[in-house]
Amino acid sequence: MDITAELRKIVGGRLSVSPSELYCYSSDASQVKGMPDYVVRPKSTNEVSRIVRLAYENDIPVTARGAGTGLAGGAVPVAGGIVLDMSGMNRILEVDIDNIQVVVEPGIIQDSLNDALKPYGFFFPPNPGSSAMCTIGGMIAYNASGMRCVKYGTTRNYVRDLEVVLADGTVINTGSKMLKSAAGYDLTQLIIGSEGTLGIVTKASLKIAPLPKTRKLVIASFENAEIAGQAVVKTFSNGVIPSACEILDRVSLQVLKRYDPNLVLPSEGDVILFEVDGMESSAREAAEQIMKVCAPLALSIRLAESEKEMADIWAARKLVGAAVSRLDPTKTRIYVGEDVGVPIKQIPELLKRVQEISERFNLPAMKYGHIGDGNLHLALFIDVLNKDEWDRLNKAADLVHRTAIDLGGTVSSEHGVGAARAEYMNIQWGPALEVMRAIKKALDPKGILNPGKLGL
Amino acid sequence: MNGVVKIMKNEGKKVIEQARDQDKTKITGKESGKHSFEVDPRSVYKCVQCGTCRSVCPVFDVVGWESANTRGRMLIIKSLLEGRAPSEDVLQSLASCTTCGICASRCPAGANPPEVVEAARTQLIKCGITTEAQEKLKSAVLTYGNSFGETKDRKHWLSETELSKILEKSDYVYFVGCFDSYRYPEFAKKTFGVLQRFGVTLLPDEQCCASPLLRTGFKEDAEKVMQRNLEQIRKMGAHTIITSCAGCYTTLKNNYPEKFRVISLPEFLAEHLEELNLKKLDLTVTYHDPCHLGRHNEVYDAPRKVIEAISTLKEMKNIKENARCCGGGGGVRIGYPDISLELAKNRLQDVPEDVDYIVTSCPLCVRNLRDAGGHIEVIDIVELVAMAME
Repeated sequence: MDITAELRKIVGGRLSVSPSELYCYSSDASQVKGMPDYVVRPKSTNEVSRIVRLAYENDIPVTARGAGTGLAGGAVPVAGGIVLDMSGMNRILEVDIDNIQVVVEPGIIQDSLNDALKPYGFFFPPNPGSSAMCTIGGMIAYNASGMRCVKYGTTRNYVRDLEVVLADGTVINTGSKMLKSAAGYDLTQLIIGSEGTLGIVTKASLKIAPLPKTRKLVIASFENAEIAGQAVVKTFSNGVIPSACEILDRVSLQVLKRYDPNLVLPSEGDVILFEVDGMESSAREAAEQIMKVCAPLALSIRLAESEKEMADIWAARKLVGAAVSRLDPTKTRIYVGEDVGVPIKQIPELLKRVQEISERFNLPAMKYGHIGDGNLHLALFIDVLNKDEWDRLNKAADLVHRTAIDLGGTVSSEHGVGAARAEYMNIQWGPALEVMRAIKKALDPKGILNPGKLGL
Repeated sequence: MNGVVKIMKNEGKKVIEQARDQDKTKITGKESGKHSFEVDPRSVYKCVQCGTCRSVCPVFDVVGWESANTRGRMLIIKSLLEGRAPSEDVLQSLASCTTCGICASRCPAGANPPEVVEAARTQLIKCGITTEAQEKLKSAVLTYGNSFGETKDRKHWLSETELSKILEKSDYVYFVGCFDSYRYPEFAKKTFGVLQRFGVTLLPDEQCCASPLLRTGFKEDAEKVMQRNLEQIRKMGAHTIITSCAGCYTTLKNNYPEKFRVISLPEFLAEHLEELNLKKLDLTVTYHDPCHLGRHNEVYDAPRKVIEAISTLKEMKNIKENARCCGGGGGVRIGYPDISLELAKNRLQDVPEDVDYIVTSCPLCVRNLRDAGGHIEVIDIVELVAMAME
């Protein structure tokens, strides 16, 4: 069968087999590579269903892709086949304030959704650092979260219903607009985080939340990351749940200052950014409580002076991961071992061990992340033209992953497993991985949906 | 599970080879693929593929394919560095960049994609891979000294009497540019009219500044053209060049091998506001920041100072470093007119309500925004100044 001709019948000119185009779809922001044979940009559920049906009948792999901002190769077609670029399906279909939800197509960009919700006084809370460019579909596929999930939860907590194209092209809905349902398996939760291995999301009903009246930011610095970790544990155990709780080690601070020299950040130590939100009085009270609890451990502690200062700090924080070249133009940040998580109590131990790994392999490291939910983003950076540094990098990343599992944590807190972390699934899950494989087999017997991912 | 599916690599390879064969027929040059591809690898590997640029690339906004955004272009250039043979579809990707620089202004890693793209275009040319539009542009500049292939005298907009009054020597030269010389002679006339009051003169035989050649990758040819202007500037002994075109401005300032003071018309006007004695007009206008004046050279305040001296300024939705490109630059207007026009239409969506004019300070932006057909007239800043001098 002439697959190119068949695909063209479905999507017309929104098909490409041009070598350069295929190359552009052969990677995301990770180190995983895989060349597709076809790229299509569907515009409707019907088109997706017909494409998947065609792939099913001809045993062709299908990999869905949003904005390609993933850090685990989840959208990389490691077995070739068809890449479904879903970013053109980007409409907001319904803003249903009465039911506190919104219905969207998967290609919409997270920030665009929130821009549209702002006039209504609502927002979609999960906010990854890539919110300016990542799609909601990608967020659902990887159960993305971000800085504010410590209070608001992850994407998983906001999805009410999904329209999903199954492996044979059948279209199903997994939920409804109801807040709760006790009828049957929760297929919505099964699809979230399944990385496109069980079906292709073509529509989503999302719960939204009212925008908080005010936000306050406490900036505290500590002698070292371990003490900073202790301050976080102490804050939580004192009953304060911040809306964001981020660590920036001293290397991250240097990078941030290079990125935006106008930022006023502590000149020494490792920093925790505690954000609290809500009504003016409750936010102020929570901020004061954090300052009181952390002061005995801190080198310095202060409240951000204005909303602009807060916005500037958060904007820079969101992009710090990629900004390491500002410190040393010969180094590039490589996203490996970058998303481990451990129970909050184990954070000081994780920080200590990660520092030891960085020193052992003589690799400069930047440590930042959502310390409030136990998620550490480790940024290892190397000279990409130096093979020895690549070798050391991969060994260090491997050890970081194993350390997280050893501490009762996970190899990925929010970026997903994709192909980059597939080898650790068995170690992390043991016999539970067989259950996942059985589910995969039941829903995708031919294994056409995003093969090579999740260690399945 | 993987064993069940067909691994498509071989078919993919075949498809790629077929496409490559077809592409070869479209290559205009001589010995494609025989030249090694030399771009500073560090400038390319700075890109961490995070996709920040993807969210702001104006061409991608219109085209929708990954190869039409900055990250895609950086990936393609990486692939060429790693040994992939350049082909026509590579050119499509690289030639469709307007070099507007919004990607560079947002890149967290500090990459400068427009510079990388221009370097890669130069390499493609060395490999003999160019578009017909690029070749036409080069030939026009080299043969006629202007980007339009116009044969009439560059100073045709001046009368015999006016020509006779031009100073032979001055410290200040007005560099008119191809656009004002041939497409908007009324701008040139008004600009020179203002500048002559300050003893500014013209080059005896001004040539294209070489911007179109540099932006499209004809670096060696550009150097020849730059020399023709440089010789005249040297001979005249001028220390300051004033330009009314954003493309000329950035080229003279950043690409010419010899350094002299280059200032844009808005900067010159802002410096001499008091002497100009401008009337305040009952007008509300908005201002479009040309990419090569704004983002590339951070000239943001001077045009606003001039506008506010004359009228009320109501800003566009995206301004200064966030201003969206008009779509005219980087050879896109000539190479991909449809894409270029769509970009201009998108830019017009940023125009606020109830303004009398859209003011800008680049004739290429004027042209492209006018072509997009909005209902508000697009004018050059010199026209606003001329109204305030009447």
